Amino acid sequence: MATAFRRKRGRVVGRLDDDEVAVVLDLLRLTRDFVAPERADTGDPFLDLVAGLGEADPDPTEPSDPALRRLLPPAHRTDGEQAAEFRRLTEHSVRTRKATTLSTAISVLEESTPPRIDLDDGQAQALAVALTDIRLILGERLGLRTDEDSERLHRELEEALSGERDIDPALAQQMAYYDFLSWLQETLTTAMLER
Amino acid sequence: MSDAPPEPPAAPSEPLPQRRQQVGLLDRPEQDTPWVTLVWNDPVNLMSYVTWVFQTHFGYPRERAESLMMDVHTKGRAVVSTGSREKVEADTEAMHGYGLWATFQKDA
Repeated sequence: MATAFRRKRGRVVGRLDDDEVAVVLDLLRLTRDFVAPERADTGDPFLDLVAGLGEADPDPTEPSDPALRRLLPPAHRTDGEQAAEFRRLTEHSVRTRKATTLSTAISVLEESTPPRIDLDDGQAQALAVALTDIRLILGERLGLRTDEDSERLHRELEEALSGERDIDPALAQQMAYYDFLSWLQETLTTAMLER
Repeated sequence: MSDAPPEPPAAPSEPLPQRRQQVGLLDRPEQDTPWVTLVWNDPVNLMSYVTWVFQTHFGYPRERAESLMMDVHTKGRAVVSTGSREKVEADTEAMHGYGLWATFQKDA
């Protein structure tokens, strides 16, 4: 059973059991596959530069998947041309940054020794940022568009858990993941803000 | 970086013509026109996380970061940074990296 993260002697420490770590790791890996750039960097700066130069302009249109569109939102509200230009120039680097952060979070949890999760600031930050991307995808899949939607989701999940409401088990599981990750991220960021 | 001139340029020997004051506003150069980065409310990002992002990325003190976060939450959006076009584009890209929904535009 998870316990909240707290700041202890400069570190961010909490507890997650093996199953909880396994679920978070699964979701982190799926999210990294989802968001990683279509042309992966090789790690060799010269080869990457050459590959980037030779590449036809990346597609500046908005992604058709609404979850991907939420991770890479249009950067201009009214001017589609500026939004497309911004997407053309930044999409690869935003995707790379997200994939790198997700990889850091994955290694942090892979190398952890549950139930004690003991993180330095950089590790805690990578995990908090990575959890955002998972929650944005899950939130989109769960149809969260407004603040009222998130409150409704939380209420429905409570009712489902107490047996007052029947919901599709697959949906209930997605809702439970979302709720758990929200709690986890809240305790992490609260601990990070205590300096 | 460019080299400094070998000698300071000579100071103007006469006061500037008064006319200059009248044309000052018309002469405002393009790069002085401010651009803004906006962050928009969304139902997923947590208030604590948004506060942390504003503190971490912009270096804002806790109070300022919290008040911007509350503006996003209650008014639907907030101007989180201003400056040159290059600066607000970089800030927008960084906000997208953190998962916040940011846009940039010329200040109206």
